Amino acid sequence: MKRSVIPLLTTLFVLVFFYLPIVVLVVNSFNASRFGGTWEGSTLEWYRMLFRETSVWRALRNTLIIAVGATFASVVLGTTAAFALHRYHTRLQRLHYTLIYTPLVVPEILMGMSLLLFFVAAGFELGLFTIFLAHTTFCISYVAMVVLARLQDFDFSIIEAAQDLGAGWWTTAWRVLLPLLAPGLAAGGLLAFTLSIDDFVITFFVSGPGSTTLPVRIYSMIKHSKNMPMINALSAILLVVTFAAVWGSQRLTKESHA
Amino acid sequence: MDDFLVFENVSKSFGKVRAAADVSLTIRRGEFFSLLGPSGCGKTTLLRILAGFESPDSGRVLLNGRDITQLAPNERKVNTIFQSYALFPHLTVAQNIAFGPQIAGWPRAQIREEVDKMLHLVQLTDQAHKRPDLLSGGQKQRVAIARALINKPQVLLLDEPLAALDLKLRQRMLIELDLIHDEVGITFVYVTHDQGEAMSLSDRIAVMDKGRIEQIGTPAQIYEAPRTSFVAAFIGDTNFFEGQVVELLGGDYSRLTVEGFPSVECFNDNKLNVGDLVYLSIRPEKFRISRERPEPAPHVNAVQGRVADVIYLGSLTKYWVRVQDYRIAVWRPASRFLLDENPITWNDEVWISWHGDDSFMLERYSESDEKLMEAPPEQVGDPNGHGAAKP
Amino acid sequence: MTPARRARWTEALVTTPSLAWLLVFFVVPTVIIFAITFKPVDLYGGIGKGWTLDTLKSLFNPNYPAIVWRTVWLSLATTAVCLILAVPCGYYVARSSDRWRQMLLLLIILPFWTSFLVRVFAWKVLLHPEGPLKHALAAVGLIGPDTLLLYNEKAILLVMVYTFLPFAILPIYAAAEKFDFRLLEAARDLGARPLRAFWSVFVPGIRRGLLTAVLVVFIPALGSYVIPDIVGGPNSEMIGNKIAQRTFSDRNLPHASGLSAFLTLGVLLPLLLVLALQRKKGEEAPSMQEVS
Repeated sequence: MKRSVIPLLTTLFVLVFFYLPIVVLVVNSFNASRFGGTWEGSTLEWYRMLFRETSVWRALRNTLIIAVGATFASVVLGTTAAFALHRYHTRLQRLHYTLIYTPLVVPEILMGMSLLLFFVAAGFELGLFTIFLAHTTFCISYVAMVVLARLQDFDFSIIEAAQDLGAGWWTTAWRVLLPLLAPGLAAGGLLAFTLSIDDFVITFFVSGPGSTTLPVRIYSMIKHSKNMPMINALSAILLVVTFAAVWGSQRLTKESHA
Repeated sequence: MDDFLVFENVSKSFGKVRAAADVSLTIRRGEFFSLLGPSGCGKTTLLRILAGFESPDSGRVLLNGRDITQLAPNERKVNTIFQSYALFPHLTVAQNIAFGPQIAGWPRAQIREEVDKMLHLVQLTDQAHKRPDLLSGGQKQRVAIARALINKPQVLLLDEPLAALDLKLRQRMLIELDLIHDEVGITFVYVTHDQGEAMSLSDRIAVMDKGRIEQIGTPAQIYEAPRTSFVAAFIGDTNFFEGQVVELLGGDYSRLTVEGFPSVECFNDNKLNVGDLVYLSIRPEKFRISRERPEPAPHVNAVQGRVADVIYLGSLTKYWVRVQDYRIAVWRPASRFLLDENPITWNDEVWISWHGDDSFMLERYSESDEKLMEAPPEQVGDPNGHGAAKP
Repeated sequence: MTPARRARWTEALVTTPSLAWLLVFFVVPTVIIFAITFKPVDLYGGIGKGWTLDTLKSLFNPNYPAIVWRTVWLSLATTAVCLILAVPCGYYVARSSDRWRQMLLLLIILPFWTSFLVRVFAWKVLLHPEGPLKHALAAVGLIGPDTLLLYNEKAILLVMVYTFLPFAILPIYAAAEKFDFRLLEAARDLGARPLRAFWSVFVPGIRRGLLTAVLVVFIPALGSYVIPDIVGGPNSEMIGNKIAQRTFSDRNLPHASGLSAFLTLGVLLPLLLVLALQRKKGEEAPSMQEVS
């Protein structure tokens, strides 16, 4: 049977569509032209400018602090949640699942807005701590989903086997569950870390003075249309870092499978 | 009697499903005891209650005179072989076996020594440092056995341990399990739905259905003297007859009328009265089949019929003989060179005969149990269905 | 403790942390959105005392119907375009050889891992009046020198499709992977033309994936804010922009929360509809597991 070429062509088109703007961006970060419409020779000027910009470095520091904290909290909460969802099938868990699932589809702006109102009403001072709370909230769902997927092909009689061989709850968790779930936890944690670093909308709503994160900084640079080429340079660096991280994690998971 | 392991009026329900209904049974020290029944009969629930993974709604479990009903799994001197083996995939074979002793806090040297001994017992010394996912099914099975036995449990529980293996391996593991049981001498409680496994391994068997124990006994007792239609039909094949007592003969015999049969003499060991309704079970291999009417003999019954189906299986031939409304299954072993004879074939007029001692009066009969047996056309090419039923 | 009691204890132990966290930081704030709609503004841009219906009245702003309409149609159009591209793409990936499929999946997911703002910004650079695409298209004469590629609804649609397409491809691919492609051959064998076989056998076969794709594209699209803010213009605002504007520029939190409450209702509607549709078929809620 001859197969249609439409699926192949669509896929190729989609891939070009996905990578065209990214490639143009990276190329333009070395373009001497301010708007990148034409090639006016290569330069590293934009990168030099970027490294002198201290506000970017401060924002990066904030971003990392929040990402580390939110990753840790959401991995703990998301893992226990996934465990509960997988192990029990009570009415409580149906409610639990709905609560875990809904944040995944709710538009970010609603989450940002509702958290802002909540923090204002509860008298929280907006800053790094409120961003941490917000990021943990949406990361829990992602971590729970990733770990839940790993649990699907987890043989629970292994836990019973550990207890059968004399292990109490703590020993079972520490010596059997944790090592077996480690790849899932790492995958969930990596996702949470990436989402936290990347989040703009929710952060924008719940951040306060002095708690600017990198995406918030980039946003204001884009909005004020100044130093566009410098954003190119920053974006190019972020892209390289992301691709390297994804490549690394792929290598890691491949090795743990072998 | 040695009351080593006792279930006392144990009941357990899951929602509306009764997995154990007032089960009482006693298992002796050192015994190989099987819980046999179809899936969903409650045998696994009993095992899990014994291991501590479930707690009964009511009743008690006693081990060595001590009530263990409420003890956690890790507080019992009982170890389990899981159906999926449940080996720890992140630990090597040796580490898997050492898991229990490490938690129990044995000295390091002793652990090493005992692990070596166990590896030797299950013949896995050269696989000691492999991860479980590199092992074959049979090897995994042996690791699971070693991992349980090293803890010197008072009872070893085996939950359908051979179900995941192919037929050949299953037969080899059957022999190995038997050898291991003889060597370590601890009590084995074995759960299976496979009558062949239960028959060949067990000292005693409890046949279960719908959360109840139908009969407990040695394999031969259960096969030869089934007490209920379920046991008779689940283990091997049989024929059921419905009759009425018309005369009590001297000794332990009575005369029955079975619808359409002239008169049937039957052994009975419990008191009967004239007019009682009884159900009989007669195993197919207890019948003799011949073209000529057999010589009359004391307590031998004979009826005439016509062959409705024949299946030739080499070592034996299966006949289904129509007598009035009955289709009687008759297994005839090929004890003589068949080609010299003029074998009985389809549509022949035949006589079938049996001794009064070979029919069994059932204490309980349910028509639905007849479905448990194989019907003629389906079992073509499946000689195991019968071979496994031999006591 | 009996095993049964211990099981209940363990369930409570592993459920409470996440459940409590989400109740406090997700359910309560969502309820607050509705409550604050009925609060007055105070002079400093905070929330005043007492209750009022002023906000509710001000939601009948004559400019709003146009914005709501734009939000809905842009979201619908985004969903439609995403599905049109994602179905053949998911089909192709699912039918690829093992090695090639891993590669394709990685290529599709990779943009999702990169910074969202960077991706939107990349389009701004590409579509910019002085940018490369404009120069290229004008040079070959496809567009006039005065055509504006940026700051309009078409630009918003383009970037929304770009952003949400991976989310549509992944669930459709996941469903297609489980699809038995011999069914297509059977349909051909029974006389169906290729397109007919694709449409009446494959598409219904991946129904679950399609529903998930609709859900994870349409609902977040309704709440778009950054995309219209960066590549849209003053005449192509969406509800999200209005919410942000009331919050940050006007410092009118009650008004912003009234708009958010309205959007929440608009989001819940399709969500419940899809969930009910799947519940009826006895299927589980669509999952986002594929995304990771």
